[in-house]
Amino acid sequence: MVLDQDLVRHLSETSVSVELETEDMTLNIGPQHPSTHGVLRLVARVDGERAFDVQPVIGYMHRGYEKLAEVRSYPQITTLVNRIDWVSGYANEVPFIVAAEKLLEIEVPERAQYIRLILTEMARISSHLVFMASYPLELGAPTPLFFALRERERVLDLLEGVTGGRFHPNFNRIGGVKPAYGSGSSTRKVIQDLPAGFLAETRDAMDKVTVAVDEINSLVAGNEIILARTKGVGVLPPEVAASYGVSGPNLRASGVGFDLRKVEDYLPYHLFDFEVPVGENGDCWDRWHVRLLEIRQSVRIIQQAIDGIPSGPLQAKVPKVIKVPKGETYVRAENPKGEMGYYLVSNGAQGPYRLKIRSASFSNISILPWILEGVLIPDIIAIMGSLDFVLGDVDR
Amino acid sequence: MTSSPSETETTVHPLQEFADAVAGAVGGEAKIAFDTVKVRVAPEQWVSALTTARDELGLVFFSFLSAVDWSAEVEVGDPPGDEVEERFELLAAVGDLGAGRRVIFTTDLAKDSPVIPSVVDVFPGANWHEREAHEMFGIEFVGHPNLANLYLPDSFMGNPLRKSYPLLSREVKPWPGNVDVEPMPGGDEETTEGPSEENPEA
Repeated sequence: MVLDQDLVRHLSETSVSVELETEDMTLNIGPQHPSTHGVLRLVARVDGERAFDVQPVIGYMHRGYEKLAEVRSYPQITTLVNRIDWVSGYANEVPFIVAAEKLLEIEVPERAQYIRLILTEMARISSHLVFMASYPLELGAPTPLFFALRERERVLDLLEGVTGGRFHPNFNRIGGVKPAYGSGSSTRKVIQDLPAGFLAETRDAMDKVTVAVDEINSLVAGNEIILARTKGVGVLPPEVAASYGVSGPNLRASGVGFDLRKVEDYLPYHLFDFEVPVGENGDCWDRWHVRLLEIRQSVRIIQQAIDGIPSGPLQAKVPKVIKVPKGETYVRAENPKGEMGYYLVSNGAQGPYRLKIRSASFSNISILPWILEGVLIPDIIAIMGSLDFVLGDVDR
Repeated sequence: MTSSPSETETTVHPLQEFADAVAGAVGGEAKIAFDTVKVRVAPEQWVSALTTARDELGLVFFSFLSAVDWSAEVEVGDPPGDEVEERFELLAAVGDLGAGRRVIFTTDLAKDSPVIPSVVDVFPGANWHEREAHEMFGIEFVGHPNLANLYLPDSFMGNPLRKSYPLLSREVKPWPGNVDVEPMPGGDEETTEGPSEENPEA
């Protein structure tokens, strides 16, 4: 059969003109969608394969912690702030308790500070390992998940051994830390310290984590599909990131070597030797790679802290019922997700007058309308995943 | 780690020079307390102060924007004390990306009509923070592109973080009973001290 060339041309032109007449569609993504890490909803205007005017809708997880904090005492609030970023619950406690200690002008014993530091870095490792597990999964590579979650379990077991909790340790007290072992009034005279063998086991776990990170890296860094989906995708320039308040690994991936562990004094990080990894291009790949390098630095910090941990008490002398003197302070910390800060206003009572919680993920995902403008729909998943947010940390 | 008050009184705080420089550049008054620099400006200087901070002082990182409701009478929690000036204190924290210097700019807004120009054009990250302050405190940000509720449902009445807003669960059932803080178990000594021993097996 001979094709009628005129008819073919006519049909192809017709189909082209039909394609040009497409209408924009409003697409709801979430709030119950696996790639949204919880209950985040995106409303996007979709034109063909590209998304425009993406508006995140948040608030499905809002628990009103800032209001609740006004009717709770300081020890009660540490249980609340555990639940802000539950992937690294321990790290949320530290800046809050340091803020209260600042107003009380309490000197925390060195050993307690070292324990806080070791556990904070372990929280960072476990949070980054969750990212190492979930991000390749979202890009269609499920294998790294098994390596990452196995190591995370190792770290969480150690955290649980000290604090009694995997996700919500509630471990810091004003003036120090309170290990689970031997607590309670009847056993108060019994040793309350790190569990037996903790330091040796942590050292061992850190070696294993280092090996696992190399394994994950070899699984991902050579995978052409992952590289194609992340390199050059979702580029975030440093000045845009700063003006939106994007912090932590997301900011460092854009080439800004700014780490609050280097400039703030909430924990004695100045005693340890570590580097601040930075990215070059600010794309999804850099955000992945910076977190991978940060795990290695956290391992370095923990190893040095284990070597240098001093002996001494775990708790400063504090009154039984703690009333924090009048004052206002802002203490911020380098949490796994970025800058986590507490603006604490005390009026001399047992609870704060006002507690403003500055959480990292909230500012980190406020960049979404900017960074998702005009991207391909599959790239939405790649970009959102690379920002590594937790909805509890967004909504508070 | 913490600075004692005697230190701050007798010697100059290491941040004093920086605080004075910021206050001079934006035309406000600086206060340092507990290693936190606060610079108070007049409401009409709000936008220009943050613009100056960003463009001339290198404070390019937008940390947060929020408010404190200073109120003599409170529905929840403890009142702030006797000599309180009734107002909304608006806070905006910015910082640099080098030495880690940070400033919290504050301004006072009247209780009955808290209105202030939006700083979304200076720091786009303020967009969500201003929406939060709008729904939680009822502060009006003039020039904000979309001052809709961020967390709360559209039909929500009231501004929950105002001190005049009751905590409804407490209205229904006072918690936890008569006293706000339960006594700690064990002993009635005045102070508590942690263990002096450490675990030699750790």
